[in-house]
Amino acid sequence: MKFLCVPCDSPMKMSQASPPERGSISVVYECPECFHTMAMLTNPMETQLVQSLGVKIGPASADEKAAGAKGNGCPFSGMAEEMSDDRGDAAEFAWTPAAEKRLGNIPSFVRAVARTGIEKYARENGFSQVDEQVLDQAKDYFGM
Amino acid sequence: MKSYFDITGDGGSDVLGQVARQRARIKENLAGVHHRVAIASGKGGVGKSTLTMQIALALRAGGSRVTILDADLNGPSQARLGGLSHAPLVPGPDGLSVPASRAGIGILSMGTMIPESKALEFDSVAEGDSHVWRSTREFAALADLLATVAWGNLDFLLIDLPPGAERTFQYAEFFGESTAFVLVTLPSALARGVVSRSVSALRRAPNKILGYIENMSGYLCPGCGQVKPLFPTADGIDLGLTHLGSVPFDPQLAALCDAGEPMPADSPSEALAATRSIASRLIQELEKAS
Repeated sequence: MKFLCVPCDSPMKMSQASPPERGSISVVYECPECFHTMAMLTNPMETQLVQSLGVKIGPASADEKAAGAKGNGCPFSGMAEEMSDDRGDAAEFAWTPAAEKRLGNIPSFVRAVARTGIEKYARENGFSQVDEQVLDQAKDYFGM
Repeated sequence: MKSYFDITGDGGSDVLGQVARQRARIKENLAGVHHRVAIASGKGGVGKSTLTMQIALALRAGGSRVTILDADLNGPSQARLGGLSHAPLVPGPDGLSVPASRAGIGILSMGTMIPESKALEFDSVAEGDSHVWRSTREFAALADLLATVAWGNLDFLLIDLPPGAERTFQYAEFFGESTAFVLVTLPSALARGVVSRSVSALRRAPNKILGYIENMSGYLCPGCGQVKPLFPTADGIDLGLTHLGSVPFDPQLAALCDAGEPMPADSPSEALAATRSIASRLIQELEKAS
């Protein structure tokens, strides 16, 4: 989708995108010639269609807030919470920064389930935190 | 006044650029995969998933490195077939690691992430009307997996597709022309008719169709020892494809599949022999196509 300033015949540039409110994103465009601004306001269905494409609209911070507005974009978030509750241990497992970095490199929609599964593995194998050694050991045990 | 095509970029988000960059990541990430083969049908319940696993096992027995991508996000079965229902997802140094079955088959399936008692759900800011965006979200999830899983060096990536004739074409477009297709049917006119529609849909795509497999082509009667038909044969429907082989129904194999166990290598099962033959034929067809 592109926006054209008709009087200037000039393509408008995105100047800001606001996090969604009740499923609606507000994106402001500005004409670089006459500086006229306009806002595109999406309805929840349009917002969802764009989010379903897996693309980011506007600044990353806005997108992150968008994901947080209703759930975190992970289809299994509720399930991961249930799995977490099942263990009967609400204590948070510590992850080293390097392990967190690896977690950040896998698809966002599977992170919650991956975290829960790894913590279960670490707990069952007597580790007190999740670091790269735990991840490598789990990979060797379960992976290709 | 300028038209859409007179303007470069979209003024901010660069949506098309994001899509192009992800496609490039997918291509780079799959660079170590020699053959990509999608197992499809159009018809549900013909045994695509079971055959995918059996072909993978036959290829593995021949020394090949094989991973299965279970593209049926809503009805995943490869995790159970490979005995991996409880394997955690492990973030490796190069992306998400692929869990492997005891037989050495890599399996990426939603079944390792979701218990069988749960349905796959996506968070949505829209109330209802999931039919409008759901399919798009599923393909985006698959693309995300293709771009971020550490596929490594593989001889074969087998892709187990969900049913649906038109969906088969969508997957052909999604995975691109370097993914070859194998279609699975039953002997019945009902199944062959649906598969024939899939063939028609796939003909619109540039993907190579390697041939078809006829599953449940008969039943070995334990009483008389003879193979008897399970379905009336539909001789009148010619799929116009190479027949890669026929696999008889084997109750022992069905039980092993439920348990996530492979058939013992020395089993006299005709189904096992048939899938081995099909795997060999598949390799021949791929070599011919390349």
